[in-house]
This record gives sequence, C-alpha cells and structure tokens, in this order.
Amino acid sequence: MTTQVTQAPSTSSRVKGLFKNQQFILVLVLIAMVAFFSFKNHIFFTTAVFANVLSDWIPVVLMAVGETFVIITGGIDLSVGSTVGFSGVIAAFAMRNLTSHNVNQNETLAIGLLVAVAVGAGIGLINALLITRARIVPFVATLATLGAFRGLCIVTTGGGPVGDGPENAINLTVPKYGPFNGPGLVVVIIVAVIGLYLHKSRFGRYTYAIGSNTFAARSAGINVKMHLTKVYVLSGVLAGLAGFYLYLRLSVGSPSSGQSGELDAIAAVVIGGAALAGGIGRISGTVLGSFILTTVTSGLIIIGVAPNWKQVVVAILIAAAVFSQGLRNWTKGGE
Amino acid sequence: MVLDSGSPGGATLERKIMSSSIKRRSLAAVAIGASAVLATAAVPATSHAAAKLKIAFVMGAESDPFFQAMKVGAVAEAKVKNVDLIWQGDPSVYSPATQIPIADAVLAQKPDGLVLIPTDPTALQATVTKAVAAKIPVVNVDTHVGDLTNVVSFITGDNADGGSKAADAIAKAIKYSSSKKFQVAVGLTSATATTNVARLEGFKAQIAAKYPNITIVDVAYSQSQPAVANTNVSNWLTKYPNLNGIFAIDGTNADGAASAIQAKGLVGKVALVGYDAYKKNVDLIGKRVITALIAQDPAQEAKRAIDTLVDYIGGKTAGIQKNVVIPNFTIDIYTHAKEKKQYTYVQK
Amino acid sequence: MALVTDEDVLYEVKNVSKSYGSVVALDNVSMKVRAGEVVGLVGDNGAGKSTLVKILSGAHRPDSGEILLEGKVREWHTPHDAIEAGIETLYQESGLAPHLSVSANVFLGREQVKGGLLGRLGFLANKEMDKQAFQDLKDVGIAVPESNRSVSQLSGGQRQAVAIGRSVAWASKLILLDEPTNHLGARQAGEVLNIIQQVKAKNFGVIFISHTLPHVLQVTDRIVVLRLGKIVADAPTSTFDAEKLLGTITGLI
Repeated sequence: MTTQVTQAPSTSSRVKGLFKNQQFILVLVLIAMVAFFSFKNHIFFTTAVFANVLSDWIPVVLMAVGETFVIITGGIDLSVGSTVGFSGVIAAFAMRNLTSHNVNQNETLAIGLLVAVAVGAGIGLINALLITRARIVPFVATLATLGAFRGLCIVTTGGGPVGDGPENAINLTVPKYGPFNGPGLVVVIIVAVIGLYLHKSRFGRYTYAIGSNTFAARSAGINVKMHLTKVYVLSGVLAGLAGFYLYLRLSVGSPSSGQSGELDAIAAVVIGGAALAGGIGRISGTVLGSFILTTVTSGLIIIGVAPNWKQVVVAILIAAAVFSQGLRNWTKGGE
Repeated sequence: MVLDSGSPGGATLERKIMSSSIKRRSLAAVAIGASAVLATAAVPATSHAAAKLKIAFVMGAESDPFFQAMKVGAVAEAKVKNVDLIWQGDPSVYSPATQIPIADAVLAQKPDGLVLIPTDPTALQATVTKAVAAKIPVVNVDTHVGDLTNVVSFITGDNADGGSKAADAIAKAIKYSSSKKFQVAVGLTSATATTNVARLEGFKAQIAAKYPNITIVDVAYSQSQPAVANTNVSNWLTKYPNLNGIFAIDGTNADGAASAIQAKGLVGKVALVGYDAYKKNVDLIGKRVITALIAQDPAQEAKRAIDTLVDYIGGKTAGIQKNVVIPNFTIDIYTHAKEKKQYTYVQK
Repeated sequence: MALVTDEDVLYEVKNVSKSYGSVVALDNVSMKVRAGEVVGLVGDNGAGKSTLVKILSGAHRPDSGEILLEGKVREWHTPHDAIEAGIETLYQESGLAPHLSVSANVFLGREQVKGGLLGRLGFLANKEMDKQAFQDLKDVGIAVPESNRSVSQLSGGQRQAVAIGRSVAWASKLILLDEPTNHLGARQAGEVLNIIQQVKAKNFGVIFISHTLPHVLQVTDRIVVLRLGKIVADAPTSTFDAEKLLGTITGLI
C-alpha cells in the first residue's frame, strides 16, 4: 500500500490558478495604470517619462530586492532607508576629499562606490549581529539602526548636503540607452542575477527554508545564523548601492536621502506577493511592485494630482496584495 | 510655528524629529564642551569683567549653517561692542524640548541681555517671562514668541520680501516681456511650514502685480528630501516642455531641481531661483545651473540684536524699533565676488 | 528475532546518565538496537524518553556512559555528527518547510548542484533532485505524484510520510522516529506504520518513540520501557499485550 495525494476539487483549483499568478495580476495593474495616466495626459506615454520612472525605480528596487530576501526569511529590515542616506553621505565625504586632492574623477567615483557598498555592508552586519548574536527581533534591531544611522547622517553633515565631489557624477544618470542610463542597466543586470540566485541556488533555497520553518532548516544542518547574517549584509550592500545611485543623481550626499525608503521597499515586496510571515516571495513580484510604486509617483505628478494621493494608492495596492494572498491560502483547501 | 527659517536643505519638522533621542544624551556632553571652549574664546583672560556687558544667544541648532553664519556676525559684533558673548543651543536638534533647559542654564549665568531664537512660540514664552522677571532684557531674532509685549525687539529676515525678490529674479532671468507667455513652477518642502507659505505668498503677489504673463503651472512638495524634489522637477521638465523657470523655495528644493536640470541637459534653458546662500548653491551660480539665490542675512540679524541690547541696557531706547526686518539680498552671476562671499553662509 | 546475537548490535548506549541541575533525567540507562529491528521506546511523560532521544541523536551529551555505533565508542558533539555517521532523527516538532517542494525538503541541507561553473556558484540541479526524491520516496512506499509540488499542498499524513521518507533516504544505518504518528488519522497512521515496516525490511535499525501503544505493539519487534529515568522493561513485543504494557509504563504491574 502506498500513500496517495488526494486531488483538490477542480472548481477551487481553477480559482487558485487565477490568483496563483500574482505577477500576471501585477502586470495587468501596471498596464492599467500606464493606460490611465496616458489617457489623462498623453505625455505620460513617452520615453522621457519612462526615464524618470526608471530613475526613481533604481534605488527603490535595490532596497526592495534586499528586503525580499530578508522578508522571505521571516525577518524585516527597517534600516534600508537610513542605510541609503548614510552610505551616500559617507561616500560623498570620501569623494569630496579625493576631489580636493585632485584625484581623477573616475577613480574618485569608483572609490565612492566601494565606500557606499562597504558602509551598507557594515550596517547590514550590525543588524545581523543584533539579530543572531544579541537575539533581538529583526523589527526592533533594525528600528534601532534606522534611528541611529539617520541620526548619524545629520551629526556627520550638520544637516546640509555634502557636495564638491566629482563633476561628472550627474552625467552618469543621463539616459543614454533609450530611457536607461548606464547605472540603470547595471542595476537591471544585478537584479536579474540576484533573482536567479534566489530562485535557483542553494543560497536561495536556504533563504526560503529558514522563513518557511526555521526548526526544519536547522535540523537539516543549515547554519541559520550564518545564513541570516549573509542575508542582512546583502540587504545592506544593496541599500549602499542605492545610496550611491542617489548620490550620482543629486551629485550631493544628502542626509535626508532614503528617508522612509524602508516603507517603499516593504510596500514593493508586499505588493509583489511576499508574505511578512516568511517563506514566500519572488524577485519578479518585487520588481513589478517597485515599478508600480514609482509609476504612481511620476503618474500623479504628470496628471497633476496632489502627490499625497500616492500614499492612498499604495495603501490600496498593499491591501489588495495581502487580500489576494489570503484568498490563495484559502483556495489551497486541503486540510 | 516657524520651523525652518533659513535652515539647511530640508530642516523641517521631520529632520528635527529624526534627530533621535539616542544621540541626544551623548551629544549634550559635546555641546557643553564646545560651548565652554567658545565662551573662553570669546572672553579674553584679561577682560575687565566688571565693566563688560554679558550678552547671551540661545539659538536653534548649532549645526545649521544659518545659525553658523549668525554666529559669525554675533562674534564680530561682540568684539566691536566689547561685550562677552555666550552662544548656546542644541548641537543639531531644533526643538523646544532641548532648547528650554539650555535657556534655563543660560539665564542662571545672569547675562545682561538675552537674544532668544525661540524654537516654538508658545513653549519659549515662559523663558521670556523668567528673563524679564530677572531684569534681563530679551530680543527675538528670526522667529518670535507668541506674545511680544515684553520683548524689546524682534529682528527677522523677510520671507514675503524674499518671495517677491525671487519673482523679480525669475522675471529678469527669463527676459520677461508683456508680449509673451511664461510658465514657472514652485518647489516647496511642505504645505504648512510658515516660511514656505510666506515666501510663496510673496512670490505670487509680486507676479500678480508686476508679471501678469507669468503663470504658476505647478507646485510640489519635497518632504525635505532632495531626491523627492528631483523626481518632481524631472517630471515637470517632461510635462511642461515650455517651462521657463523654477522657484526652489529652500536648499532641499534647490539641490533637487539643480540636479534634475543638469541631468535633463536644460542648464541655461530653465531659470532656477533658489533660497539661502549655501556655499554649494552659490558655486552653482558660477556654473549657471542656479540663476539666482535669495540670501538672508543672519550675520546682520545678530549684529542688530547685539546693538539693540547694548543700546537698551545703556538707556538709549529712543532709536529701538519694536520690529526690524532685515532685507534679503539677491545673489546672481553679476554679484561681486566680495558680496557673494559676505552673503554665503558659513558651513562646515 | 529474539535470538539475535550481540554481533548484530548496530547502535547502543551503555550506562548512560543525564541530570539537569538536581533533576535526574536518565539514571544508568542501557539499550541496544540491531540492524533490521524496530525498537519501541515508551514511557510516561517525564520518564526520560525525550532526553534519551536527544542523546541518541547527538543533540545532548550524556553526563556519563558511552555511545557505541557498530561496536565503536562514538561521541556526538552536534546532531550533525550523528547525521554524518548515518543516524537520522525525525523530531516530533521539526516537520518540513511547507513552502518548499517535496524534493526540496527531501534534499534540504544536502542539495545537489549542477555540474561545472554554475554548480560551483551554488546553482541547484532541481530536475535531478526531483527525480531522485520521487524514486527515494517510492522505494519506501510513498507515492507523491510530483515531487516538485509544494509541501503545503499535501495532507498531514503525506507530510509525515515525506518526512520519514526524507530520513530513510539519508540514513545509512539507523532512524529515530519521535512520535511520527501523532496528530494523524487512523488511515494516515496506518500508512506511516507501513513505511516503517518497509524501512525495517531494508535492514535499517529503527527506534520508534510513541505514546500510542497500539501502534507500538503493531510495528515493533522489541519494547524498551522507561520509568522515572530508568529502564524497567526490555523485552520482545510478543511478550506484551496492551494491558501489560500500560501497567509496565505506569508501574502498576
């Protein structure tokens, strides 16, 4: 005698199929939005606006991709916005210093990039140590680093922007390949590679396993603490990249950069279909979720609606995403 | 409640609040240390203490370039008038919660006069009452307490005048003529900050009075973030292909607008008038990214405050005005280097 | 079955004691498991069952006494040591990762990677693992239509079957099953017991820990009864009936 899988009733499986493909729904939402904004103001449907959306999308998607890993493990990283700000500010100080010593612009930018990434990795490591060694829950640990590093942004800068860096920084953000600028293309590649890594590699498998059932992961011999450390460092590194991109875009390190960026990141991940309880989430969903967020931002400006409506629209999208998730669980039936 | 008169970037409510209490405690020690150094610097060891007047400044936030520039003016004038200067304020937090204890500590030193830049009109009223009860005359600078009855003088920059000057600067930059139509947009930080409101009102009033062919096509809010201002302006530049000018109402908006205009390759094509003479933005005038900046004169405000108190204590009350408005200064490409330097805020 | 000699002993603890503070959890306990034998470990709550399981699986170390695997004295510093030596433990509370597929669970912690550079970068050989998992489960009588199906879509019995299948697939010598039939319906529990019979037939040693005495009587060859940290009975299952077993556990006989 062998055990057998009993088939779920066919009616519910059809409903399930419909809601299962969150990415498909998100694409529909995105198309509907673009259609709506373009209908309201035809200028929306131009490469120039797409370039604006992309430029906003880059820092959001970088934060959100890191956040996706963290949320899949069942954790949360509230510090990504402050990491964006602090990495940008410290990189700006480094680049200002190098520029004042007449270091070549490209070298200065390369070093600035390394500094931003290192700062991000450092903050990620602090989060990881607080969570895995001091055993502070991720929400509280990263809430503390959110406050601490935003505070340090202001202490180190005195509240003002840090300029006098390499002059060609801003040129890098000019669209060169259709609506894409150079860093934008690099980010697309980074996101694609990380997406493959999450869904196809052992690292990704462990990320899901920990969020799905930490005990099972641990009994299977996975070094949960080490893995979580890597995940939070990854989140910090990507936020550091976002901080560097915002530096390029503004050509100053602003202490307020990335402020409340963690909310955008989490919103993008949740709209993308991930569950805060862990174990569920896809990079494609996060990519679409962050696109929807930044499309709303530009769209509302283009059609001339007060930007505060963005928060309302985002709230509705989050509620819809969570609702459809509940629906999917419900249609799963089984037990 | 005036929160960010001339403060850097987006020194609005959020920023003040962001300065978390975590760091406040450790920085208090730094503040005390720093002020001790300052006090010694301002008081020569050989001073004839009995004869010298002691005037205290209690300002908003030490780190703010606006207050740093004010301090430069205060130190210089203290030297001229031979007074001891006590300069005090929180290192970075613009808030009554941190200012009130500092004000109390300063009053305990029994200065001859107090220059108070209240971070809140209601919360700091008690400080004025206490000072007056101790026979210490009070001058308000930049912002004021709710009830000015017992305040000797209130000295401030004029935000409405600044807005009006910004309109003039834009009109000049876009070569205004009554035979053409012009479009401008205004980047604000928040819909409620009183400085923003006063500047915008001044701007609108001047356009209505003198430049009727200019239409304000859009306003947007930066929430104190240059990146948000950049997004707003990037989209405006796409949405209004014929946009002639942008009025960036503070440093944050100027940062965002300047970078957006540069990235879109519209330097020199779209006029950008900003507010506050931070060094970085003064430099951008040289590169023609920013057309003009409306500079306040915090050093002048400090000078007037000290002069007023010295006169008042000396009994020369006749010339003292209850309300002094220090005019703004417009910096553009034609401004003489010396004046540019004079009006540029000191910044670390 | 009663006449196996000591040469067949696969896994053994000798004179093992363990205290937690002043509480003596195990007092001079010795037990043996032979290859192809299912040993039932029973006892009331607090009798020391779970402590003994933890020592057997390497999660805890005894204060005194020895652990022998195939006649050799071994020391487990972590559960991983025991796993490496061929001893798989299915904990009552561990279960599976519900969001992962059947094969991902079977291979959890021991994933196979693709060949070449991709493999070195950690990219998984999912198709191969799906196939292998399907085969491994089938070998012990578990048929899951697709092993790339998510575990959350399986019933409780199927999940437990997969969990046991996973242990069997990886164990080379012995399997410890801690309450594997808990929370299962009669039919599903029957399926699990059926799997245990198949595992035994493959010459594994099995230690079956359970509160459900009929299951113990049905599936085991020998029963070890713990009471207050001591072994009070160790005899072939055929010598027990339900009443006698219950009496031995409670100390009323």
